[in-house]
Amino acid sequence: MKNVRSAKSVNYSQIDNRVEKISESREAMVLPSLEAYKELKWTRDYFEQKPEEGYFIWVKKQINNPLATCIAISLPKVSQDIRNLVVIEESIEAEIYSICSAIKKNLCGVHIGRSRIVVKENSTLKMRHFHNWGRGDRVESSLKFFLEKEAKLSYTFKCLAVPETLKTESDTFLDSRSSADFGIAVLAEGSKVNMHDSIFLNGEKSSGMMKLRMIADKNSKISAHSKIIANSAGKGHLDCTGLLLDENSSISAVPELLNKDKNATLTHEASIGKISEEELNYLRSRGLTEDEAINLIVTGFLGEEAPFTYKGRILSKAYM
Amino acid sequence: MLKIENLSVRVDSKDILRGINIGIKKAEVHALLGPNASGKSTLAQAIMGFPDYKITAGGISFKRKDITNVSIEERAKLGMALVFQHPPTIKGIKLSKLLEKISKQTVDIKEFSVNPDILEREINVGFSGGERKLSEIIQIISLNPSFVIFDELDAGLDIENLEELTSIIRNKLLSNGVSILLITHRGDILRFLKPAIAYVMLDGKIVCSSGNWKEVWRTITRYGYEKCKECKERKLFSD
Repeated sequence: MKNVRSAKSVNYSQIDNRVEKISESREAMVLPSLEAYKELKWTRDYFEQKPEEGYFIWVKKQINNPLATCIAISLPKVSQDIRNLVVIEESIEAEIYSICSAIKKNLCGVHIGRSRIVVKENSTLKMRHFHNWGRGDRVESSLKFFLEKEAKLSYTFKCLAVPETLKTESDTFLDSRSSADFGIAVLAEGSKVNMHDSIFLNGEKSSGMMKLRMIADKNSKISAHSKIIANSAGKGHLDCTGLLLDENSSISAVPELLNKDKNATLTHEASIGKISEEELNYLRSRGLTEDEAINLIVTGFLGEEAPFTYKGRILSKAYM
Repeated sequence: MLKIENLSVRVDSKDILRGINIGIKKAEVHALLGPNASGKSTLAQAIMGFPDYKITAGGISFKRKDITNVSIEERAKLGMALVFQHPPTIKGIKLSKLLEKISKQTVDIKEFSVNPDILEREINVGFSGGERKLSEIIQIISLNPSFVIFDELDAGLDIENLEELTSIIRNKLLSNGVSILLITHRGDILRFLKPAIAYVMLDGKIVCSSGNWKEVWRTITRYGYEKCKECKERKLFSD
């Protein structure tokens, strides 16, 4: 397999409401959030309230292997209230794979996740976030990213098995010369999806880029509100593209730019449509059936990720 | 191999092609010449079975099978292939991934004078004109076809690149018995591939069909396409 990324260990694993495994190293402290809240008083500035579940990861020194977290629902009607905190200390490059999923399709669970991610001065965080759910699950995800001076964030969120209702929101705060690059991909089939993402350019020469890819099929409704607010002389760009695969689905994309600094540049582009007939015919002329051609176009549209494995098992794909 | 009889095609309620007759045998090269908007690409897409190209009369048979109402992919599976004049970009899909899905035979990229990195690039995204043509030919060879339509292969190519591509066509396709329909309005490609029959299309009709491509091309370059309507060498297709 090409470009496979492998974890040496899963650093935090939670099934339903119990912590299964914690693996830390000299470079990265890993604790259940509740423990961090009790033992490290400073973390309370980030946890808005006392957490019951979730992980705390504190990368204190340069770490060469990707960190991995897995949070799963395995039993019916489980309700999770996850609060995570990730702190990357100064001048460190870190990579985190974060996977949230239901082990079966019919568990009707609730997953509410709130994460706070702090990337300190001159650090780089590459975070890959995968969600895979069953039809009857309800999922809400809220993220806040705090990027200090010259910090860099590359964040991917991919949900290719969307539950009946999915709500996501993110707020990203950028200090001077920091940059955030978001790639969000959602494939909704019979789902209602609400997404709110905001990037705040608070420091000079900060930059924010958000690329949103949405596919609505089988009577889905997607609403995506993306916003960039320039409080300082930075640069921002929103790129929202949606594909409708059936007659009964809809996508609403609302890109919003708010510029409060005349030296800032904010731009956006948005389009929603169907799969191009020209592309379909081209692939069919190569011998692919219409369904195979659609699948290939959809895969390309949502972006292919290099598989992420642990002990030979691909963690970044749906478990179902 | 391919037999087109009395074919008429309508696109968007407009009759574009009328009464087209073409017959191509195994390992033969035929050339279709004509000015812009004469209907050449329409014929290519109708032969390939594109849904917007409605056949209103006549039919197409391929390998003795009537394919008039057969889907694009079925035609491809039977061994028919089209090299697009303007292939679309397919974002997010690398050429290597497409080849993995469609290939019936392995193609060694080193045999082509192209940077092998092209395989790891998204299909036609940022490709130069020459890279697009090579990407098309690599895909086509991987399909192991028995009949290929080249729609304006020579458009935008300099003479060296064209010579190289036609050499690939001779060595990888013609030498394996593949039949070819060349759509062009340039003479150089005819010189390199020496078609057995040259057709001239004007306003959706084949007005000339000749076994002497040199004479046809000489007439066109000397007098323009209009002269083909009254050319004495004119021989209508019969099979």
